[in-house]
Amino acid sequence: MMQAVNTAASAFETDFWKDANLRKVWDEIVPGEPRKTLPYKLTHEAIVLYCKSVGETNPLYLDEAVAKSGPYGGLVAPPSIHILLMFACTPADDWMRSPGTVNAGQSWSYNIPARPGDTITLQARALDKFIKRERLFVVHDNVFFNQNGDVICSGRGQTIRAM
Amino acid sequence: MTATFESLTPGDIIEGPAFPVSRESIRLFCDASLDYNPLHLDDNYMKGDFGKTNFGGIIMHGMNNFGLITRMLTDWAQPPDAIHRRLETRWLKPVKPGDTITPTGVIKAKQVTSKSRWVLIEVMVTNQGGEKVAAGEAMIEFPATAEAGPSTH
Repeated sequence: MMQAVNTAASAFETDFWKDANLRKVWDEIVPGEPRKTLPYKLTHEAIVLYCKSVGETNPLYLDEAVAKSGPYGGLVAPPSIHILLMFACTPADDWMRSPGTVNAGQSWSYNIPARPGDTITLQARALDKFIKRERLFVVHDNVFFNQNGDVICSGRGQTIRAM
Repeated sequence: MTATFESLTPGDIIEGPAFPVSRESIRLFCDASLDYNPLHLDDNYMKGDFGKTNFGGIIMHGMNNFGLITRMLTDWAQPPDAIHRRLETRWLKPVKPGDTITPTGVIKAKQVTSKSRWVLIEVMVTNQGGEKVAAGEAMIEFPATAEAGPSTH
């Protein structure tokens, strides 16, 4: 089946309450079960916006002429671009978007940089869930790939579910 | 000064620029990350309790800390052709509009493996009161030689 490729500019639902009732609550999340994800075309504009939000001024992300003579032979995204990719590749009914979900910490390993123009895919799942100090935790793990099947980065995190 | 693997010593400090947090900076991070969780947008929602926690108003995305630490590490690693390979972080305190936060790193150890060289760094973000709001660990790879080092392309 053909699947539409997400871009930041098109059709991203910014109201996280919408479809909230479709999302799995902690009880329904099955560790090990793959999450449905969406391919996402990373644009230079999205990278520029991300850079602006964290004060990145590195020309490898922003200045094509400088980046061309740099270590990657062209523009790349900062390693932490997975912060954007996580939501860009996540459908609106996914539990990652449940309002009140608190991020308790993350760890990421970086292989190669994402580049503007890449079509990025995500393989993701809940890996574990547990209760600690009356809070409901879910451990999620994630791997981002480019259109050549190369791993860009992989990471896992813990979220505390809204109750 | 550009760091070299040989010259680095445990206890060496890395510093990133201070980052003023505002309602506007948080809103910009929503747009840049596509994370529109009401924790970061909706003051009315944030008047409520989260279990035993009440934040009293919107809070910054924890991953904004992560982005600031990443910026510090890549700015430090790039001049000596080192590569940012791993970052793990935990959030310790919420960050709110009006706070100013600053990332720092402390070199903890160096490790030579069969094919490369690694620097382990303790990282943290502190607020204007000197309180730690985020803490973690990072790994930076200093490829031994261009031939022996793994491809970065």
